[in-house]
Amino acid sequence: MPGTILENLSGRKLSVLVSILLVFQITCFLIGGLVAPSPAGSQDVIARVCVDRNPEDKDFKKWFIPKTCTAVDLEQQQSTKVLNASNLVLAFQMPLFNYDFSRWQQNLVGVLQIDMVQRKGHKLEPVIELTLDARLAYRNKHDPDDKWTYHTHAEEKRIMDCSVDEVHDIEKDGYPYVCSSVPLFELGSLHHDFYLLNLRLPVDNNKNIHVGHISDIHLHIIYMNGGFTKVWLSLKSFFFPLILGIIIWFWRRVHILTRTPALLEYMLLALGITLAFLDLPIELLTLYFDMPYMLLLSDIRQGIFYGMLLSFWLIFAGEHMLIQDSGERSSLKMYWKHLSAVIIGCFSLLIFDLCERGVQLRNPFYSIWVTPIGTNLALSFIILAGISASMYFIFLCYMIWKVFKNISIKRAVLPSMSSARRLHYEGIIYRFNFLMLATVICAAATIISFILNQVAEGQNKWDENMDIDMSSALYTGIFGMWNVYICAMLMLYAPSHKQWPVESVCGESGEEVEFSRLPTDPSPNEISSLTSFASKASID
Amino acid sequence: MPGKKARRFWPWNFRAISCLFGLAMVQYALGGGRRSISNGSWMRLGLTIGEMFKNGEIIECSKLPGLSLGQSRICELYKDHMTAVSSGAHQTLLECRHQLQDRRWNCSVLDDVTVFGPVTQIASRETAFVHALAAAGVSHAVSRACRDGQLQSCGCSRMGRPKDLRKDWVWGGCGDNLEYGYKFTQGFVDVRERERKYKRGSKEQGRSLMNLHNNEAGRRAVIKKSRVTCKCHGVSGSCSLITCWQQLANFREVGDYLRDKYDGATEVRVNKRGKLQIRDARFRLPTANDLLYLEDSPNYCLRNLSVGSLGTQGRTCNRTSQDLDGCNLLCCGRGYNTMRTVLKERCHCKFKWCCEVQCKTCIKAVEMHTCK
Repeated sequence: MPGTILENLSGRKLSVLVSILLVFQITCFLIGGLVAPSPAGSQDVIARVCVDRNPEDKDFKKWFIPKTCTAVDLEQQQSTKVLNASNLVLAFQMPLFNYDFSRWQQNLVGVLQIDMVQRKGHKLEPVIELTLDARLAYRNKHDPDDKWTYHTHAEEKRIMDCSVDEVHDIEKDGYPYVCSSVPLFELGSLHHDFYLLNLRLPVDNNKNIHVGHISDIHLHIIYMNGGFTKVWLSLKSFFFPLILGIIIWFWRRVHILTRTPALLEYMLLALGITLAFLDLPIELLTLYFDMPYMLLLSDIRQGIFYGMLLSFWLIFAGEHMLIQDSGERSSLKMYWKHLSAVIIGCFSLLIFDLCERGVQLRNPFYSIWVTPIGTNLALSFIILAGISASMYFIFLCYMIWKVFKNISIKRAVLPSMSSARRLHYEGIIYRFNFLMLATVICAAATIISFILNQVAEGQNKWDENMDIDMSSALYTGIFGMWNVYICAMLMLYAPSHKQWPVESVCGESGEEVEFSRLPTDPSPNEISSLTSFASKASID
Repeated sequence: MPGKKARRFWPWNFRAISCLFGLAMVQYALGGGRRSISNGSWMRLGLTIGEMFKNGEIIECSKLPGLSLGQSRICELYKDHMTAVSSGAHQTLLECRHQLQDRRWNCSVLDDVTVFGPVTQIASRETAFVHALAAAGVSHAVSRACRDGQLQSCGCSRMGRPKDLRKDWVWGGCGDNLEYGYKFTQGFVDVRERERKYKRGSKEQGRSLMNLHNNEAGRRAVIKKSRVTCKCHGVSGSCSLITCWQQLANFREVGDYLRDKYDGATEVRVNKRGKLQIRDARFRLPTANDLLYLEDSPNYCLRNLSVGSLGTQGRTCNRTSQDLDGCNLLCCGRGYNTMRTVLKERCHCKFKWCCEVQCKTCIKAVEMHTCK
């Protein structure tokens, strides 16, 4: 009976393969660290306060451009004396410094920060509700300077939390209030060269009544770095054909067998396909087409991949446990209980994502977090996802623990076996442990890199090691790692052509080691000898 | 701890900017002929704000008051920066007056090209503060102007490099604008001290070193007070991708920080090797963030125009305070007059965006004390 390649591969070949994969992995890491710039960059744009002489005229063709509009200084009281809220338009042009956006920069996030200063005799509310009338326009490089095209318009609410350093000291003058910044917009595609944001703070109907004395309004824009996108897409374009080739090779191997494919083989195929889908560099299309749904799509692609990976682990552990009680062929149906946690988690995240990013397709200023209902809804989906994730991990850990327990039980019996047979069993157990270890290392590396990323970015940026970009190294490293991991899985778990090496290893001694001859071997369709070995153990 | 910070501070990766600003600018500035250092202060720009500028562009650098030769050359190179420099000088003057309002020398400004009069000719603690605050003011204003889109040369473009480099790696290795402000100020303010060679170990050289040190302390104060803010923007808005930026501090916070440094300034002297040396070895060594001075302050109690002191006569003081603003200290023991007045004050204010303040008027009966 043919086993998987993993079991039949000699130690030397295995180590060669592992080192090749390691080289791939290290290359991915180094590319991120040495070639790519950091994944995202930001610019801080300060608003220019323009004067709108005819606020009644609500024409969407009227745009205020920071360079050309009549501006006032908020600090100078004479200049703002005759004006009221409807006269003032905060104009932001993106990007700064005569740059233009490149489509390689993929997407744009805008965060608004309002600097307020203490004035004598004034006390600020700790929670301020802002109402923002935002209009977004775009222009392309070859358009005339004043030709701005309407993009979107929305009136949105935002909540800003403020804290005063010395709460009781209202005599202080000129000190800043420390207020949280509020997310303003998220553009899924950066298709045009320049963007213009015109912001108003309406005061009719008791809007914006708690706003204090504003000194400056900043817009922080965050974009993907074009250089990083290029490196990222090259990695994807490299891995995509590779993984596709391996899938085809794997499935041909499975196909030429006389038996029907086992569940684990179907799972591997599915996992390979989701990875290929993740690797497919469709982002390249954004260089030619306006695809605002790209953010949503990439979220979904990642979600499908991770969902599949989690399901695979469950089934992998399950298939090596000893639940062949009835001898029936294992199928997905058997795992519905186990998989439901993954499915519920993925679905709740998908719904959350659709609620936020889906709506943002139509209105980039939309945020689910503003209204209390939206916040509760979003939170409940996230909590649901969190609960199913923890359920999943408890379940997975339990199953893995069981597998290891069974293996150790079998190990105890090993010394009583003949030497050739024992060597073989030990080899198989070793390789399985090895792969288990690889999984644990991959998962741990992902989690650690996630934490490192937070810590590295949260620190003060004036640091010595600016030449090596840690965050993009971690990013490409983790991406490469999962690709390498799944390539390894597909290769090592493909069915082997080699006959069970009973003739070469143990043939001379004439011992009975072939699993097919074991009297209690229940099914001839087992994917690997370890499963049969394990099920034998359960019968023992 | 501050020493450690200082070491971490230097190896920034903006060597490119640093070269272009630090060396090219200074060399360019020094390259021209020899002219004696003008006695005026470039801080004068802060008083003439608005006069010299037309539509944000200045008319002629040589007409700007108080600039040294090197500075006016830098002005020629970066004409668009001068609006920011002047507003930086302006905010410095306002902040100086605010911070020292209850000190014996309250940052009194004379209406001439020296701005502070002879006070800043003395290498005193006050001069140290003014220099640091001025460097901070310009650094702050230039960083802010970058974010305003007023300056073409900040951001990712390496100063004056060819245009194709601009798109290099599509804005990948962009520096922060704080760096830019720091570097520009380093060129603009420090160039005055580099314009003349002094004899090693001389008083003049010590003065120059002191100014350079205090300028640096001021520039660092701006960076030190900046805050880091982060935003998560990964998959589904998770924190798998996080971007942070430096948030420019309010200048009042920088002023507070520097006033603390002013109160804890260290007295130094220049040694024969031309290095600054701490005068009293019992004190802790100053770091790059601390202020240094060479001479004791003159007596600001009495009016003495030759040292630039206006005296404290007629200043209002706080009778109950034991602090520097207390009548005891501020009036230098001469006593004070008390006057009863009714003050009308704004209170319970409500702001209405943008430009309306609705306040109640509170009437308070207070006693005013003024120094004899």
